[in-house]
Amino acid sequence: MRTRHAIHASSVVRVIVMLFIAMITIFPFLWIFSSSLKTNLEISQFPPTLLPKDPQWEAFGKLLTGDLFWQFLRNTLLLIIGNTVGTLISSSFVAYPLARLNFPGKNLVFSIIVATMMVPGITLITPQYMMFNNFGWLDTLLPMIVPAFFAYPYNVFLFRQFFRSVPKDLDEAAYIDGCGRVGMLFRILLPLSRPVFITIGILSAVFWWNELTQPLIYVNSDTWKPLTVALMTRFKFFDEGPNTVTWNYLMAVSALMILPPIALYLSASRYLVEGIKTSGMKG
Amino acid sequence: MSTTKAIQTKQARKRKIKNALSAYAFLSPWIIGFLLFSAYPIVYVFTMSFTNATMMNSGEFVQFDNYIKMFNDSGFWKSLWVTLVFSIFSVIITIIWAFCLAMLLNAQKRFNGFFQFVYFLPAVVPSVALAFSFQMIFAKDTGIFNYMIGSVTGSNFSPNWLYDETLVYPTVFFIMLFTYSTGQMMLIFRSGLKEVPRELYEAASLDGASAFQKFRNVTFPSISPILLFNTVMASIGALNGAFAILFPLTEGGPNGATNVLSLSLYREVFLNNRIGYGCCLAVILFLLAVVFASVQFAMSKKWVYYEN
Repeated sequence: MRTRHAIHASSVVRVIVMLFIAMITIFPFLWIFSSSLKTNLEISQFPPTLLPKDPQWEAFGKLLTGDLFWQFLRNTLLLIIGNTVGTLISSSFVAYPLARLNFPGKNLVFSIIVATMMVPGITLITPQYMMFNNFGWLDTLLPMIVPAFFAYPYNVFLFRQFFRSVPKDLDEAAYIDGCGRVGMLFRILLPLSRPVFITIGILSAVFWWNELTQPLIYVNSDTWKPLTVALMTRFKFFDEGPNTVTWNYLMAVSALMILPPIALYLSASRYLVEGIKTSGMKG
Repeated sequence: MSTTKAIQTKQARKRKIKNALSAYAFLSPWIIGFLLFSAYPIVYVFTMSFTNATMMNSGEFVQFDNYIKMFNDSGFWKSLWVTLVFSIFSVIITIIWAFCLAMLLNAQKRFNGFFQFVYFLPAVVPSVALAFSFQMIFAKDTGIFNYMIGSVTGSNFSPNWLYDETLVYPTVFFIMLFTYSTGQMMLIFRSGLKEVPRELYEAASLDGASAFQKFRNVTFPSISPILLFNTVMASIGALNGAFAILFPLTEGGPNGATNVLSLSLYREVFLNNRIGYGCCLAVILFLLAVVFASVQFAMSKKWVYYEN
């Protein structure tokens, strides 16, 4: 009897702790939505209000009826589509021999891929910037899309992990049936790998939806800025001159930027969670 | 007899060569990408760190001038120190937080989906938006955080969280709990914890092990490979991803207190147009990543437990 009470008490404590943490993790998110409905004046007043006194939809209205928001959204979507298509094709191709074939130099290639995964991207951004400058690609989205077609090490790693889990007997059977290497990849491995494609596609979309560093460095003009960079520059001083931070617009854009990933989580959380788990697999 | 054998070995060799050729054909996109976007930039960074290049001018060879300048610059040492402190603490704090959340989530049966959603929620907020919302929350006079503490304690509570050279550290570490990498680690820990064999816990219970002993002798060894993976990824993330959160949040301030190397590098190259010097900083950052990874792998031999 006593132990049952003890178990009960500990689970009550746990639920209280968990609810408290939930309040912490949800707070910035609520704050963004609440502030997006305040006037800029209300935001800078003391005492701060938890909920807007008189909800203003003006910021959202102005953003959604103007051209700028849609232009930046288009650029973000171009980045997402270009990268996702590019990396799915190239990374799955590269991962195939690493997972299924034996050839000299395989271990060396795989070690190099793992090693490049660990190089912080910002250390190599200067030479990349100079190179793209020579190509005449600065202030376009090309420096961020073209490299995706040459396989990202991290995605190669994820594909390899998945391909290794597909039984090898299938390859032998296909070989006996006169299937070539390319045929094996397209007829056997790819149809079985739909989940890993969806997963890497989602991870890539989430990454490029949030990416700040690269577009900040490669893009200058409003024409090609994605939402993240636009948030820091164009929306920070939206309509009140360069000295007044327009917090309400900042928060309205932020609120709009949170909704798609949430929708994605709610509709495809299975793939997202699965993909993140795969990346943690050993081997 | 010997001729058929010779033919067979010849065929086998032929098949092997064909195999290798097709393997490298599949690898070719990566080979090109590696040469263009990794190998060449690495060589370039090391070479350019010995020149006084600018954006317009490829500069001259100046030997160790940049390095000498860098090692004599107190700003560099501060930036290096800040990078170390920031990386090490944020890795430790986010890993502990992610691990505790994963333990709680795995213990909680009811409303599990709800809790996981709410705990993962901050991870889907873009870092720029996160930075701006915390600037508002932690604002000195108009921020909700100071106001709430002030009303609970009934005092005038107004520390300037993000603009005080000491307070900025706990504030930034707290904000790091809301990043994508923390959410990702939480999910990886969750799946790792689920795979710990139940029999081991039952056996430990029969032996009369306490909760702490179970954690030390069952949970910890079982998830140690995943812990290593998370630590390595988190420290690379701290060197790299620090930029995306600190640049909009503090811009390296106040007074250089959060000026990590990636921010210095960005400023030197893209604002001050000092490519040579910026490449020096890149070399240091690169070496730091190498040191971090090797230290972790070396230490891991002591505490990571592999089944086979």
